[in-house]
Amino acid sequence: MKDPKYVAPTLPAAIRQLAQLPDAGSRGFVFVRPDGTERFCAFSELCDQAERRAADLHARGLKKGDRLAIVVPDPDEFVLSFLGAVMGGIVPVPIYPQLSFKNVESYHDTVTHIANASGAAMVLTTTATKPYIEPVLPRASSLSQLVTVDELGAEDHGKIDVAIDPEDLAFLQFTSGSTSRPKGVQVTHRNLAWNSESFMIHGLEKDSSFDKGVSWLPLFHDMGLIGFVIGPLFTNIPVVFMPTASFVRNPRIWLDKIHQHRGTITYAPNFAYALVTKRVKEKDLGDLDLSCLRRAGCGAEPIQAKTLHEFAEKLRPAKFDARAFLPSYGMAEATLAITFVPAFSGVRSDTVDKAALEKAVATPVPAGEGATTLVNCGHAFPEHEIAVVDETGKRLADRQVGQIVTRGPSISRGYYQEPELTAESFKPLRHEAHEARESDGETWLYTGDLGYTITNEADGARSREVFICGRLKDMIIVRGRNFYPSDLEWVVSEMPGVRRGNVVAFSVDVDGEEQLVITAEGMSTEAEALKTAVAQRIVADFALTPHEVVIVPQGTLPRTSSGKPQRRKTRQMYLDDTLARARTVQGASGEPEDAASSA
Amino acid sequence: MMQAVRGFMERAELLQVFQRTATEVAEKDFPNVAETTSISELGIDSLGMLEIIGSLERELKIQIPDESLAGILTVKDLLNAVESRQPSSAA
Repeated sequence: MKDPKYVAPTLPAAIRQLAQLPDAGSRGFVFVRPDGTERFCAFSELCDQAERRAADLHARGLKKGDRLAIVVPDPDEFVLSFLGAVMGGIVPVPIYPQLSFKNVESYHDTVTHIANASGAAMVLTTTATKPYIEPVLPRASSLSQLVTVDELGAEDHGKIDVAIDPEDLAFLQFTSGSTSRPKGVQVTHRNLAWNSESFMIHGLEKDSSFDKGVSWLPLFHDMGLIGFVIGPLFTNIPVVFMPTASFVRNPRIWLDKIHQHRGTITYAPNFAYALVTKRVKEKDLGDLDLSCLRRAGCGAEPIQAKTLHEFAEKLRPAKFDARAFLPSYGMAEATLAITFVPAFSGVRSDTVDKAALEKAVATPVPAGEGATTLVNCGHAFPEHEIAVVDETGKRLADRQVGQIVTRGPSISRGYYQEPELTAESFKPLRHEAHEARESDGETWLYTGDLGYTITNEADGARSREVFICGRLKDMIIVRGRNFYPSDLEWVVSEMPGVRRGNVVAFSVDVDGEEQLVITAEGMSTEAEALKTAVAQRIVADFALTPHEVVIVPQGTLPRTSSGKPQRRKTRQMYLDDTLARARTVQGASGEPEDAASSA
Repeated sequence: MMQAVRGFMERAELLQVFQRTATEVAEKDFPNVAETTSISELGIDSLGMLEIIGSLERELKIQIPDESLAGILTVKDLLNAVESRQPSSAA
């Protein structure tokens, strides 16, 4: 396998190169703290600190290849510790911190699972987070040490130089996917180098002379960690980080930091653009100037053209240029990015016939009744390829809906110590299997996403652009018609009395026939009326009668660490009859929770 | 009564502020909220709660540190967190 053209072959090599640049003392990362103060960490200091932490970890007995669980909510400490491990050849395993307002038991289960699955020898945390991690220690057999970040580097152990090969494991990214049990995606240095080159250079067309990233994305998640820490380190881009919680509390801070630091690159899931549109008042825009922003990426969840248009409309007085929107597609198994639209092409969409889509064909029609609009997520990067295949693994033509598959040097070698799960998702195309040889890079990642391509021959270049319809495993097939849960969920989410993103659609077997179930979070006082309204809406919009509509108390749908409802788990809970059903009764009280909190 | 609240805001008033803020953010009424009500019972997810807390912070000109959020499970816990952040010198 060859090395990428424009970036260093490993992350430590990239960081050391960066620290050698003449301006390494004046360029770097800015960490905005919850109180608004900022900590500047120059690239030279970042390298120095990471090397010191690497030496400290080795002094504590960790060796190259050992796994280190990291549960550190503070962005600056997280980044320095993560890079410290990587510099020392130790494999970091980022884990999300305990979510607020939730009981802690399921969190302990997740941390225990990740610690055991990764075989982490040590967990690194903070003094404040320690109480949430300590109970896990006796349950995770490999974990022998808990260290807090202030202990790390308290003693000077100098620096060490660990030889890192591009094929070495850089870190384990446990997926927050909609499966019930997180799996550790193995990310090598070569994966990181290739993907960083792909999205930073070919995708964002970065320019180190003026580009600057601004991000509030969580760092335990691939989009925040690779997109804004690792990619920028490979390509010499300064970044301003703020805590995720600061953004959710006050979405305006995202815009303010872009304005204040003249940010040029940012990125967010669809919901965040919607949150800004909802919360930021036009009269408060004042002298906000977002004309500096030239890349506003969107990904990690289904992209709605409507959401992005509304954001652009709202921020027009602040000189936001809608061409900056950069819809994209990716997943942890491909390191991060799989496709990007060309820079400055904005949101382009395809309006297709709903009825034809139910038969797995994307037929273009004018917008209106019976049509649905999908956002163009762009094309694959150089040396990478995407294709759409049917159930037998045969490649499909443009506008035929099938599973999206991809190959190239960014694709992970598989899940850590999960050979069966790896073989399911990382394999040759079936009809090519007889001639496939592993060393040819002929392994494809089966993404589990359904979509179609359109070949674009603009400007003399041929590129296959991808449109995502939904998850293969979640597809609902009722009497031969295919429905994507995200379409059904979106329609219900837009109804009054339902909070956006708190709807799950799935199918169940009823007397041998697949049938639709909708679950939505709502107020118990409105449950009955809401049930009827949701059912009517589904009938009106999809000509489909739900088998059942279940209204559950808000906050009770199972979620991933990034806050997305888990479809399969919700379905399982429905089947097990463990969903908390909201009943039309007032004043039911939650005494057990109260008792737990006063302890 | 705690030193911190003196001369600033009574507990009942604080509950009303919470109720109003929650209504604004979640776009629905919360007629039966009491201190003993659990957050999950309110039907507000963690994203929504953070939005409400952000709103309270702006209105009351306080800051609730992230680390004290994890232990909040009831309205009472939340009001305690708010109260402990009220400036004792405020008129």
